[in-house]
Amino acid sequence: MKPAAFEYHAPDTVEEAVALLDAHGDQAKVLAGGQSLVPLMNMRLARPAVIVDINRIQTLNYLAEDGGTLALGALCRQRAAERSALVARHCPLLGDALALVGHAQIRNRGTVVGSLAHADPAAELCAVLATLGGTVTAVGPQGTRSIPADELFVSYLTTSLDPRELLTEARFPALPRGTGWAWKEIARRHGDFALAGVGVGLALRGGRIAEARIGLTGVGATPVRAARAERSLVGAVPSDALWEAAAEAVRAEVEPDGDIHASAEYRRHIAGVLTRRALAEALTRAREAA
Amino acid sequence: MKLEGTTTLPAPVETVWKTINDPEALRRCTPGLTELTATGPDAYAATLTIGIAAVKGTYKGTLTITDKRAPTHCKILLEGTGGAGFMKGEGVLDLEPEGTGTLVKWAGDMQVGGLIAGVGQRMLGGVGKMLVGQFFKCLEQQLGSGA
Repeated sequence: MKPAAFEYHAPDTVEEAVALLDAHGDQAKVLAGGQSLVPLMNMRLARPAVIVDINRIQTLNYLAEDGGTLALGALCRQRAAERSALVARHCPLLGDALALVGHAQIRNRGTVVGSLAHADPAAELCAVLATLGGTVTAVGPQGTRSIPADELFVSYLTTSLDPRELLTEARFPALPRGTGWAWKEIARRHGDFALAGVGVGLALRGGRIAEARIGLTGVGATPVRAARAERSLVGAVPSDALWEAAAEAVRAEVEPDGDIHASAEYRRHIAGVLTRRALAEALTRAREAA
Repeated sequence: MKLEGTTTLPAPVETVWKTINDPEALRRCTPGLTELTATGPDAYAATLTIGIAAVKGTYKGTLTITDKRAPTHCKILLEGTGGAGFMKGEGVLDLEPEGTGTLVKWAGDMQVGGLIAGVGQRMLGGVGKMLVGQFFKCLEQQLGSGA
């Protein structure tokens, strides 16, 4: 399998890359790790006229902690983030989810920011960004802007990015000390896209839940924050019955599609089951940390 | 793959009927439709470029309107082939008055085959629904501005 002919550019700076995107608009695609784009091109399902390869822009290869936020440059590989001590300390939810993205070989090349830009409806990393309320940084001909997760994801493989903008950075807020977390997903085989997945953050104060975050993947066109389920938890005392009620609230909030891999009903069901399990695990971690 | 739903349009049944039988309105509102040429009564040759983000395919085929019972019922048949696969679909529309507007009940059955179906299976249903939504949204805007 070979891609259709395309023009290839390998700029050395962000400015050059943006100038190329500005010149070619939606004819151009950015190549970072290429783990989604290249297969699509090889199968000729995507036929971009112009490829802007950003792999030479070394200033985009970083992972740093910046005032309570983890900042990952557009060239930070998924495997580098997965094995990073900074991620383990400040953003373990991201680390746990990363371990389930494709296979190790894919993560060696694939980038965190590339996965966000691709916006697959079953991607782990998009849901993690949504769960933590993270942002991304985009540089375009008009300058630099910051886009919150809930404004970034628009639909299947579709973001609010302009084709002339380059996503340069993802910013994941660190979990405050004492916050428990869990990532749970179900896939048919290891490395497959999840049928459904859920990320949870849980903070306790005086035996009650002070803060709850629940974000899901694979159950709609974009990652979903289960706002009603989150609200039902805040102020309550943790119990199995409470988890079950939150699971029911999640089931009521999601509208999954069915396909040959799983029906919509099954996806809705496991979204609840995974929520319950994730909340229980997050509680254990929150208590250990306290 | 079966899809169905309802949508409300801000115009009386007769006006909605006229619009969905107007090739110009179909051309404007069918997502990705680049060419529509009449080849007979209620039969058209069509070229569609549809997909999402960078995954786009061009399909050449036919669009036929049958089973007409003016002004409340018709069936739209769509068939196309392209480099990424083929698609074949039929949609049944039923129009009912609702207040001053029209309630459109639609049901479709779509078959997609070839490479795009193998790779895109996870998203086909959702994208199909999204495209139908775009079609009615466009009709709504057109009817809204004409009223």
